[in-house]
Amino acid sequence: MKAYLSVFHIRRKMELQYRGAMLGGILCQMFFGLILISLYRALYASKPQELPITHVVSYVWLQQAFFRMLLASDPDLGDKIRTGSISYDLCRPLDLYGFYYVRIMAQKLTGSLMRGIPMLLFALLLPEGWGLSLPSSVPGLVISLLALFLGLLCVCALENITMAFTMRTLDAKGVQAMLNLLMLILAGNILPLTLFPDSWQQVITLLPYAQLLDAPIRFYTGEYGTDSVLRVLPVQIVWTVLLTLLGRFLWSRNQKRLILQGG
Amino acid sequence: MDTAKLYLHSMGMLIKSQLQYPVSFFLQTLAQLVMEGGEMMALILVIDRFDRLGQWEAGNLFFFFGMMAVTFYLTECFGRGITGNFPYLVRSGGLDTILVRPRGVLTQVLCSAVDPRRITCIAVGVTALFIGCRLSVIRWTFLKGLVLAEGILCGCVLILGLFMIEAILCIHSVKSVEFVNALTYGGRSACQYPMDIYPRPLRILFTVIAPFALTLHLPASYILDKPLYGWPAWAAFAAPLSGPVVFLIIYACFRKAMRFYRSTGS
Amino acid sequence: MPFIHVEKLNKTFTVLEKRKKGSLFREKKTIEALRDLSFDIERGELVGYIGPNGAGKSTTVKILSGIMTPESGEVTVGGRIPWADRREHVRRIGVVFGQRMQLWWDVPILDSFLLLKDIYRISDEDYRTRLVELTEALQLEELLRTPLRLLSLGQRMRAELCGSLLHRPELLFLDEPTIGLDAVSKLSLREFLKWENEKYGTTILLTTHDMEDIAALCSRVMVLGHGRKLFDGNLETLLERYDTVRTVKACYADPAVMPVLPASVSASREGEGILFSYSPGETPTAEVLRLLQDAGDLRELTIEPQNIDHLIAAMYREMDL
Repeated sequence: MKAYLSVFHIRRKMELQYRGAMLGGILCQMFFGLILISLYRALYASKPQELPITHVVSYVWLQQAFFRMLLASDPDLGDKIRTGSISYDLCRPLDLYGFYYVRIMAQKLTGSLMRGIPMLLFALLLPEGWGLSLPSSVPGLVISLLALFLGLLCVCALENITMAFTMRTLDAKGVQAMLNLLMLILAGNILPLTLFPDSWQQVITLLPYAQLLDAPIRFYTGEYGTDSVLRVLPVQIVWTVLLTLLGRFLWSRNQKRLILQGG
Repeated sequence: MDTAKLYLHSMGMLIKSQLQYPVSFFLQTLAQLVMEGGEMMALILVIDRFDRLGQWEAGNLFFFFGMMAVTFYLTECFGRGITGNFPYLVRSGGLDTILVRPRGVLTQVLCSAVDPRRITCIAVGVTALFIGCRLSVIRWTFLKGLVLAEGILCGCVLILGLFMIEAILCIHSVKSVEFVNALTYGGRSACQYPMDIYPRPLRILFTVIAPFALTLHLPASYILDKPLYGWPAWAAFAAPLSGPVVFLIIYACFRKAMRFYRSTGS
Repeated sequence: MPFIHVEKLNKTFTVLEKRKKGSLFREKKTIEALRDLSFDIERGELVGYIGPNGAGKSTTVKILSGIMTPESGEVTVGGRIPWADRREHVRRIGVVFGQRMQLWWDVPILDSFLLLKDIYRISDEDYRTRLVELTEALQLEELLRTPLRLLSLGQRMRAELCGSLLHRPELLFLDEPTIGLDAVSKLSLREFLKWENEKYGTTILLTTHDMEDIAALCSRVMVLGHGRKLFDGNLETLLERYDTVRTVKACYADPAVMPVLPASVSASREGEGILFSYSPGETPTAEVLRLLQDAGDLRELTIEPQNIDHLIAAMYREMDL
C-alpha cells in the first residue's frame, strides 16, 4: 500500500511541474468552451428545446474542465512500451496492474483538478446563460462528486485496458487514437450526450464511457434527481469492477508473454 | 520551379518512408476517418435536433463544415512540416541542420514532412461539401467555382501562417504555446459554423486576427446566395486575399525571429 | 589572405536563471561565449579544436558555418562573411554533427543522397562521379539500399560523411565524429578523413574530446577555454608543455622493499609492484632509475604508456577551466 502511495505521490509531483503549460491549456480549453456555448445558444435561439440551455452550458463547462481526465496522456508510458524498457518494471516487487493504475490515476486527478478548478471558478463568474450554474441541490452535488470518483476509477481501468492493447500490437498509435476518439464522442465531449437523439441516449448512457463524466454532470445539473442514485451508481460500480477485472486479465496475460519472450 | 521540384521530391521520399510501416499507416488513416467522421456525426445529430441555425439551413451547414474540413486538412496534409513539426524542430535544434543547407528555411521546413493520412479527413470534407451542395440547391456558375477555389486556397495559406506563430514563439523561448491552438484548432472548430452566430469579440477575432470569416464564410455565403453581413458580391472575391496578407505579416515576423535565433542560438 | 580569418570575435549570450524563491521574475545572466578570439587557418589544413564542454567550440563552429551572427569581430571564410549571405556560404561548406543525424531515418541512404543532390543543386555528372568515389572510399556500396535506421552507428556516421561531402565542400566541420564508435570504425573514419584532406585539399576543422583523433589526424591543435584561445600550435608542442608527469612501475623480488626517493616523487603500491610518478624537470630520470636499482633486487621495470586524456585533464586543471 505504501509503495502505491509513493508512486501516486511521484506522479502527482511530476504533473505539477507543467504549471507553465497548464496556463496555456486552461486558456485554450476555455476558449473552446466559449465557442461551443455560443453555438448551442444560437441553436437554442432558432429552436428551443425541453432541456434548459443553462443545463447545456453547465454540461459544456464541466466537460471542458475535466477534459484532462479523459484522454490518455502519458507519453512516457507509451515510449516505455515501444522501446521495451517496460520489462524493467516487471522486475519491481509490485503488482504491475496496480502500479500503472495508481500512476494513471495520480496523473489524471492532479491534471484535471489543477486545470478544472480555476476554470470552474471562472465559469461560475460568467453571466447567466454563459456561465456554470450552481448545482441543483446540495445532495445533488454530493452525489455528483461520488459519481465523479467512480468515473475516475472507471476511466483509469479503461486506460489500463488501452495500455494492455498497446503492449500487444507494437504500433498502437492508430488503435489508441481511435479508442481516444470513441471516448471523446461517447463521453459527451464533442456533443453533450443530453443532445443526442433521445432513443440513442437510453443505450449510450449505459455504456462505460458515459459513466466517466456524463453521469456526474447530470447529477450536478439535476437532470438525474436524487432518486436516480440507485439506478445510476450501480451501473458505474458494475462497469468499474468489470473493466478492472478485464484489465487485470489482459495485463497478466501480457506479463506472462513478456516473460516468455524475454522482453 | 526548382523549389517545386524539391518539394515534390521530398514528398515522394517521405511518403515512401511512411509506407515502410503499412499496417500502422493503414490504422492511422482509418483513425483519421473515424475522427473526422465523428465530427460530421456531431453535425448530423445537431441538425437532427435543431433543424436549422438562424438563417442557415441544414444544407448550408454541411457546406460550411465541408469547406472548412477540406481547407484545414489539405493544409495539414501538404503543409505538415509547418503545422506539425515546426515547434519541435526549433526546440530540438533541428533548425541548425536546416540552416547549414543552401535553401530557404521555410522551404526546407515545408519539405520536412507530409501527412497523407489526412486523405480520409479530406474525403469526409468533400462528402460534406457535396451533401451541402445537393441540399442547398446551388445554381453553379463559373464565378462561384472560382470563388470556392480561391477561398480554399487562401484559407490554406492563412492556416499555414497561423501555425507558424507557435514556432515563432518557440524561437523566442516562450514556454506555454498551447494557447496558439485556440487560433488554429479553435479556429477550425469555431469556423466550421457560420460566423454570424458568435458574439462580437469572437467575430472580431475571426475577421481581423485570424480572418476565417473572410477566407471561408464570405465566399461560402456568396456561393449559397445568402450574403453574410449584407456585404456586396465583389467582397467575396476580395476578402479571401486577407489570408495571404496575414501569412505575409506572420512571415515577416518569422524573418525577424530567425534573425533573433541567429544572434542568440538555441 | 588566409582561407579562414577570425579576428577579435566576441559573442555573449543572455540566459535566464532559474527563478529564485520569492522573486517574481527570473534573473538574466550574461555569459561570454567567445572573448576576443582570433586565428587564421590556411586552405588544406586539418585542425583539431578542443576544450571542455561549454568552452565555446560549437559557438565558433556555428559562427563559421553562418548559422549564428557574432556581436563583434571579423570573420571571413574564403573571402566571404559567413552570416552575410548564408545560402551562398553554406553551399561551400559541409557540417557533420556527431549526435544529430541529417539524413532521413526511414529511407534508403541512396534516396537521402538523391534529395541532397536536389537541395545542393548538384549536376547529374558531378553527383555520379562524386557518389562513386565516396561510396568506394567509405565502403558504402553495399549499404546504399538500406534504410538509415538499420545501419550500425559506424555505418551511419560514414553515410552522414558521404552526405555532407557530396557537394564537394571546401571546408568541412566535424563535431565529435568518432563519438561512440568502435575501434575499427574509428580507424577507418580517420583513414578516410586523411584521404579526403590529401586528395581534395579540403580544409577540416575537427572538434572532439577524443585525443586519439587529434593525434592521428591533426597537424595543428587549438585549445579553447572560457571563450578564449589558450593554445595554438602542433600537438608535440602541446605535449611538451603539459606532459610533465612520467610514471614507472617497478617490481622487486622481495615485495617488502620500498625505495627511498625524493619527496617530489610520489609512490603507491599497485598489485605486485610500486608505481612512481615524477616530473623529469625536477627529478632527472637517470637519478630515479639509479635510486630504484639501488633499493633492491629489481625484477621488472615498466614505463607506463602516456595517457593523453589524463594529460588533457591535467592541462585543463592547470589552465583553471
